[in-house]
Amino acid sequence: METFGLLLDGIFTSLQWFNLGLLIFGCLVGLFVGAMPGLGSVNGVAILIPITFIVPPTAAIIFLAAVYYGAMYGGAISSVMLGIPGASTAVATVFDGRPLAQKGDAITALSAAAVGSFVGGTVSVILFTLFAPPLAEVALAFNAPETFALMVMAFATFVGLGGDDIPKTVFSILIGLLLSTIGLDLISGKPRLILFGMPGFLHGINFLVLAIGIYGIGEMLWTLESTKGKVQMAKMEVNMNEIGKAFKKLKSTLMAMSIGSFLGFFVGILPAAGATPASLMSYGITKQLSKNSKEFGTGVPAGVVAPECANNSASTGSMLPMLTLGIPGSPTTAILLGGMILWGLTPGPLLFTQEPEFVWGLIGSLYIANFFTLVLNIALIPAFLMVLRIPFAILAPVIFVLCVTGGYAPTQSLHDVWLMLIFGFVGYVLRKLDYPVAPAVLSIVLGPLAENALRQTLILSDGSMGIFFDFGEKPIAASIMYIALVFLLMPLAGPIKRKFFKAKSA
Amino acid sequence: MTLIKQLAVVLVSFTLFAVSTVSAKPFSPKKPIELIIPAGQGGGADEIARLVQGVIEKNDYASKPVIPINKKGGSGGEAMTYVKKKNGDVHTLMITLNNVLTTPTNQPELGIDFFNDFTPLARLITDTFLVWIATEGKNTAGINTFDEFIAKAKGGSLVMGGTGKMSEDELLLGMMRGQFGFDAKYVPYSGGGAVAKGLVGGESDFTLNNPSEQMGFYQSGDSKALVMMTPERNPAFPEVPSSYELGYPDLEYYMMRAFMAPAGIDAEVRDYYTGLLHTVYWDSEFQSFNIDDGKLMSWLEGYGLKDFLAVEYDKHSVIIENFK
Repeated sequence: METFGLLLDGIFTSLQWFNLGLLIFGCLVGLFVGAMPGLGSVNGVAILIPITFIVPPTAAIIFLAAVYYGAMYGGAISSVMLGIPGASTAVATVFDGRPLAQKGDAITALSAAAVGSFVGGTVSVILFTLFAPPLAEVALAFNAPETFALMVMAFATFVGLGGDDIPKTVFSILIGLLLSTIGLDLISGKPRLILFGMPGFLHGINFLVLAIGIYGIGEMLWTLESTKGKVQMAKMEVNMNEIGKAFKKLKSTLMAMSIGSFLGFFVGILPAAGATPASLMSYGITKQLSKNSKEFGTGVPAGVVAPECANNSASTGSMLPMLTLGIPGSPTTAILLGGMILWGLTPGPLLFTQEPEFVWGLIGSLYIANFFTLVLNIALIPAFLMVLRIPFAILAPVIFVLCVTGGYAPTQSLHDVWLMLIFGFVGYVLRKLDYPVAPAVLSIVLGPLAENALRQTLILSDGSMGIFFDFGEKPIAASIMYIALVFLLMPLAGPIKRKFFKAKSA
Repeated sequence: MTLIKQLAVVLVSFTLFAVSTVSAKPFSPKKPIELIIPAGQGGGADEIARLVQGVIEKNDYASKPVIPINKKGGSGGEAMTYVKKKNGDVHTLMITLNNVLTTPTNQPELGIDFFNDFTPLARLITDTFLVWIATEGKNTAGINTFDEFIAKAKGGSLVMGGTGKMSEDELLLGMMRGQFGFDAKYVPYSGGGAVAKGLVGGESDFTLNNPSEQMGFYQSGDSKALVMMTPERNPAFPEVPSSYELGYPDLEYYMMRAFMAPAGIDAEVRDYYTGLLHTVYWDSEFQSFNIDDGKLMSWLEGYGLKDFLAVEYDKHSVIIENFK
């Protein structure tokens, strides 16, 4: 009950007019930075940190958390409307959000994103409120072997991502893994695969460069070819009735919501993971477990709900290790953490007892921020839909400009813009040849996490792989590893079963 | 003769005119100042860079905003290559960590000449290093002093969590190996925070972290420090002995937080930025934040800084040589 009282205090703190104003302003800023390709929550929060020196720490964290939060919602908008992932956390939203919009059902896609985000955000903040201290223990027990096992599980779900053509999917995964090894090798501290000795490769290939290239530029080329520059949707009714209908379609996404909420939160609280891997894993697992997994990628609401639910859930989750352990669960929380230290707070196990107003003000504000972003998003659907009324011949150059600025923004290097254009063209060709590109995008995100965790573990175990399967030594890692194996074999079961039945009937 | 005289007069008056215009309008930035951080977001260098940015912005110390840009690739190699290319640019600064002293030696292929590619401006802070163990570490239970720790470390191979191959803490481990004759299994993590968590989570047995990275766990009693590698105790860790008082004066190591500009800038520009940093340095907020965090305020500029960098560079080259 003590928790409940503290929470109420926190909610009231964030409802003070000054804090509430900052919160709503933060949500709007977040929506904007999330929707602008390349300007994800990381950049948004980093740019705004200095502003927060002039307000009290509680107001500052409420503002920045609202930006972080709003960006999770905002990323979905450009993913759905333009086919460019607005932020790295919204890449998986493109997979089904874009096809839904192209089928003429952008309202469902946007509603699914808004409601999914709301559910994920709310479930996770409730979990946060109830179980923060014990969950910090879980995060502490989650070390290199457990992280690697989780990554194996993530990769196992990807195999199912590319449809039935498993060799093509594996090819795509390998391309992604290869690209992910470019840059600095953490374990040896040496640069590797610096192609042509170009210094631009020293920072590796930014995941957004690949994603914006493949989805933004590739998609633009593809749409130009298929629509010949015509208006995508001339007429579109937007009224409460339509939105109500869209909401009804979301009933079928309950499973996606629960997977997204819980998996997202869990992945979020693990140090160094964050909302991007969470949204990708949530998409993969939901697809695998879904009855109509074949329809994923052609525009199903569950395919939008799963990643959107997970990215909001994970962004809340990643605040847990930040507050209780002083370690960031995502790149954005790394910046928030820096901010907290500058505001004179020491993140760590004592923060909850020493600074209750700050911690509970933040948690309370998450409940409120969730509510406001949902309202904002539903209210703004008609405005977002106007984009689709623009003829593609006009929209295409706008998309191109957004892609170029988006490719430039994260690292401020022109090298990455050229790289993005090349990826865009290659992505378009791969698509013509019917290669799935999603697995490549996924593996460039998770590749480095998996590699580091694997190599750290092998240093600890003196090179023995047995540590991953040893229930006595590493119970969590072993259980995840075995579940991963099941996931890995599941997509193989389909073709084998079919072959078997065919043989029988013949 | 008269012609030459006339010419001389013209020349002198031109020079005088030029000098007077220069002195009338001292340098000030004309566009936003890029502050290059040769490390990722959320680390120690990033923290100081953003603090400097915040202090400048809050008090309007500069006429243009400061924009921190992280270029973390190649252990600082990416940032140094970038700043090297900015030769003569008056709107670029770089904050340093010790990787600027090691990367030119470790990665000769980058072609970085530490002494000629940059203009050192000032050193603001030195960060200290401590030996940390978990209070309830499974392999370090019952250890309370640095000498007990050395005995334990010599006996069996302990696991040390660190921030990456050839980073400061691994070089430090190399130094300690030479001084005390123990070795440890080195596991690299992706940042000081992850290193601290690995220690408390039981994955590693000890770390050589900076104070700020372990501060939360130190205050909660989850981890404890055995020695601080400085001549004197630090007020932020009053009960932790210094290496000098334990009789190990060779165990002294610092992380420098200095600022540099590209080579090829005028003395006037250099003086402007040094002055700006000096203003930041004496800002009361900047002072109290760093002192509370266990950092040493250590302003150094001009020839003193040049000598310091030369000594440190050589020291690091020797450490790297011994390491191989």
